[in-house]
Amino acid sequence: MTGRWFGRAIAIATVLAIQAQPAFAYLEFGVTAGGTQVKLRWPQAAVRYLVTNASVTNVPVADFQAAIARAFASWEAVPTASITYQFGGLTAALPGRDDGLTTLGFQNRPDLDRVLAATSFVVDAATGALVESDIFFNSAFPWSVAPSGEANRFDLESIALHEIGHLSGLGHSALGETELRAGGGRLVTAAEAVMFPIAYAVGSIAGRTLKADDIAGISDLYPTGDATSVYGSLSGRVTKDGAPIFGAHVIAFDPVTKTVIGSFTLNAQGQFSIGAIPPGPRILRVEPLDDAEIDSFFDASRTVDINFRVAFSDRIVIVPRGGDSGEVAINVVAK
Amino acid sequence: MTRAARRAAIAPLVLVFLASCSRDAAAQAGLESGRLEISAGAAWLGSQTFGSASATETTSSGGTFSLFNTSSEMGSAWAFDARVGVRLAGTLVVEADATFARPELRVTIANDVENAPSITAVERLQQYMIGGGATWYVPRRNRIVPFVTGGGGYLRQLHDRALLVETGTYYQVGGGILYLLSSHPGNRLKATGIRADVRAVILNGGASFDGGRHTAPAVTGSFFVRF
Repeated sequence: MTGRWFGRAIAIATVLAIQAQPAFAYLEFGVTAGGTQVKLRWPQAAVRYLVTNASVTNVPVADFQAAIARAFASWEAVPTASITYQFGGLTAALPGRDDGLTTLGFQNRPDLDRVLAATSFVVDAATGALVESDIFFNSAFPWSVAPSGEANRFDLESIALHEIGHLSGLGHSALGETELRAGGGRLVTAAEAVMFPIAYAVGSIAGRTLKADDIAGISDLYPTGDATSVYGSLSGRVTKDGAPIFGAHVIAFDPVTKTVIGSFTLNAQGQFSIGAIPPGPRILRVEPLDDAEIDSFFDASRTVDINFRVAFSDRIVIVPRGGDSGEVAINVVAK
Repeated sequence: MTRAARRAAIAPLVLVFLASCSRDAAAQAGLESGRLEISAGAAWLGSQTFGSASATETTSSGGTFSLFNTSSEMGSAWAFDARVGVRLAGTLVVEADATFARPELRVTIANDVENAPSITAVERLQQYMIGGGATWYVPRRNRIVPFVTGGGGYLRQLHDRALLVETGTYYQVGGGILYLLSSHPGNRLKATGIRADVRAVILNGGASFDGGRHTAPAVTGSFFVRF
């Protein structure tokens, strides 16, 4: 289960159903199946989902279902991704049950006082394929489905968009800035990925729009037929004083489209890779993972190096059409 | 290119033209002898500014939060230039030309939100310009002959190890002088000389980050033979 946290919360990625870990891409889940690491994804093109027939204060069932449908439609509209979603109707079933049905609904969990919503998975252990994924929205929080948002209420469509990213197999993105609050937790200053683990403040509807990072992620997981020949990838390695580092956050800026996409160094060699991105020049920036809690991205067993200064690559990196940039080496220095 | 820069690029061209017109040296055959002209030489292509861009994130109110700023340019570069011209009539010559250069694409990064030191990221392009145009020589019997020229063609820019190809078009207009070193109207090799010109080159598309048109000055010096 991986959840979305509200501004005051410390973000984490709790995993219950599977052992989640980033795959060799930027923000995807990986599972070990049959002794090999595979990306967590749906095997079928159309994912069928149900919506729990239960309303909460300010959110009638019909409006809840409509907001969910809009969020699914946003992911489905990505032209370079092939995944589709199919509304299977209302159900009395609650999310979180291992019943073979992908269900989205409200549950009252005041005990999870920093969790707005969470996604859980059932995975085929032999193949690593997704079998079921449920999303619960915590009705202990105030919700809104108003077109322009509502003061002091969380925007349901924005949070659903994030959770459906998880449901589709995406992990968290670190493309966001936060500041620590006096009372604990973090406040989002800005984000450039729906999959950033901490939600915008109440009243905001800025999280309703997928960003380049989200689009690259879903396109990498479910590429359309021509996406692999049209799009490319970039890869590289980050070292600190010559030694590879794990967990460095790598940002690729496209000066043509003015968009950013993030990734991490994900192995002992300090290597990173970003796939399914449009060809063209990129500026690479490496920063320590210091704008959310590390366990929002990696399981606790990994040691993430955050003791280094932000640095840029001194070369413009070229993403080719249908190929890879070749390894880009970036060296950082300790703080 | 700013208006001031464009003016600066054109000004020497006008001066060269006027200076050469004012000369009144001994008459030489050669300008109108020979039909085919082949020249090769070196060119200097001026830099082009591609403007600035910011890497941003979205705030909760829908505004932008800047991570860092970039300003981009294509640096000036030396180039190899070759032309083949055919005299159509009188002093009008149609030409095919090819230019190869390796300009540097530069992106200067500054104002990082976490105070990373400013840096300039670079990449060297391979740039090919293949096109055609026309040159009109001012009719006069003199060793020094002024001319005006214009044309355009195909622009091909190859990024890093030819990983990515960007294409576009170019246009150019300018003028210069031709200096006859030798003239032998009765021989097969009818004339040799040197040619210098100043042009305004407009690149359209290619590796430009904004996909727009950018103007740069260009100066060429070449040796020619005429048959």
